[in-house]
Amino acid sequence: MTGPRFVDRRRRIRSASERGEGVRVAVVLVILLLLEFYLRPSLTDWRGMPDFLVLALLLLAIRQRPGSAAVTGFFIGLLVDVLSPARFGAGILAHVLVGWGAAWGRGIFFADNLIVNVALFFVGTWVRDVMVQILSGTSLRGLWIEAIWWAPLQGVTTAAVGVVIVLLFREWLAIRIER
Amino acid sequence: MRASSGREAARGDLLLFAGCLALALLALMFPRAWTSAFSSGLRHTILRPIVMLQSRAAEDRTSRFRLGGIERTRDSLALVVMDGAATRRENDNLRALLALRGRLARPHRAANVLHRPIGTDNRMLLIDIGREDGVSEFDPVVSGDGLLGSIWSVEAHSSSVLTWLHPDFRASAVTADGSILGTLILAPSSAGFATHSVLELSGVPLHDSLRLGTIVYTSGIGTVYPRGIPVGRIVGIGKETQGWERVYRVAPFANPGDATSVMVLTAPHDSAFLPIPTKRDSVQ
Repeated sequence: MTGPRFVDRRRRIRSASERGEGVRVAVVLVILLLLEFYLRPSLTDWRGMPDFLVLALLLLAIRQRPGSAAVTGFFIGLLVDVLSPARFGAGILAHVLVGWGAAWGRGIFFADNLIVNVALFFVGTWVRDVMVQILSGTSLRGLWIEAIWWAPLQGVTTAAVGVVIVLLFREWLAIRIER
Repeated sequence: MRASSGREAARGDLLLFAGCLALALLALMFPRAWTSAFSSGLRHTILRPIVMLQSRAAEDRTSRFRLGGIERTRDSLALVVMDGAATRRENDNLRALLALRGRLARPHRAANVLHRPIGTDNRMLLIDIGREDGVSEFDPVVSGDGLLGSIWSVEAHSSSVLTWLHPDFRASAVTADGSILGTLILAPSSAGFATHSVLELSGVPLHDSLRLGTIVYTSGIGTVYPRGIPVGRIVGIGKETQGWERVYRVAPFANPGDATSVMVLTAPHDSAFLPIPTKRDSVQ
């Protein structure tokens, strides 16, 4: 049972399983992109709507090593900056830091606990929103309103949607939730 | 062995993080012309499907939620146009009698403001029409309420709009009677940050004064905004440190944060009037 044929078979099974997992994660990402770029703008432009891009970043970051999460944050930030012509680079920097922080923090704080995931989605969204405002040179009043009203509100709605996504797709995303 | 591979992985993570951080900081420091060209290129190529998807979403939202409002606005405008027809004819007759130039029509294109993935303060907007729709750089952008800004960069099917919330915004303004001219800029605050949603009308001579509530319009001076677009209302007196001019605070009518549908004035830029008729035309 430990011959080369058996080892080869096990490797093939693992590789197929990893491919399948990659496809499933890609499907969840496509769903989040459609929610962000079609459903959200076709309903309302209200600032408190959940942010599906930061949710995608956080869901990927908790599966990745900090370096890969930073790279994921870089590309999501680039997408944001290209589609929001405000201050180029602000979104990239904020997403890199949030992605890296989420992946790094997983090793320290994260149990497979739904509450911890909710806190991660809330804090990740809040930090990203405030950081983008600071780096964009927003007025002090605008920054204050963002920090105490819009960012927490968006953090709450993003966390709520994040819980639904985690519960619906926890098998696909390989997230274990303690009961 | 395992500890050493763990250290290598951690070093790799740190390198990747530092690389991403360095690129992000570089992106922040690049000149706006470079980043604008880069963003335009991506929006026109790889991200074109996403821009199309957003445009479609904006159209769907309009048809789903705002159709009633648009119909009401159209009906109100139809009444205004009917009321104004007699006045316009009378005005044309008087102009003909006095051999005055006629007013130019302002060709425009309607556009949807595309969804912004992050909530920055609306200094720049992205709209769903571009070069192929006849839009070019510096075309004025207005909403039903008044002036929003001008086109900053243009791609084939989308454009970026620099709104009056941007520190680079400038417009020459005039009162309705044409007696007082000034320059509109975003009001700065003492902390160096822009204050929220107020413009400053500077360059008003000391011997002139404006009453609160006076409406200011674009003056047509310069090459960007034609004369007569309403900008805002005087709401206060600003700080003037040099002592040789008056500065007023102007609350703009159009809020870039609320804008979902806008109009791009494709021509003319520098005047609202046709060329002076020749002597022969005026005799006729």
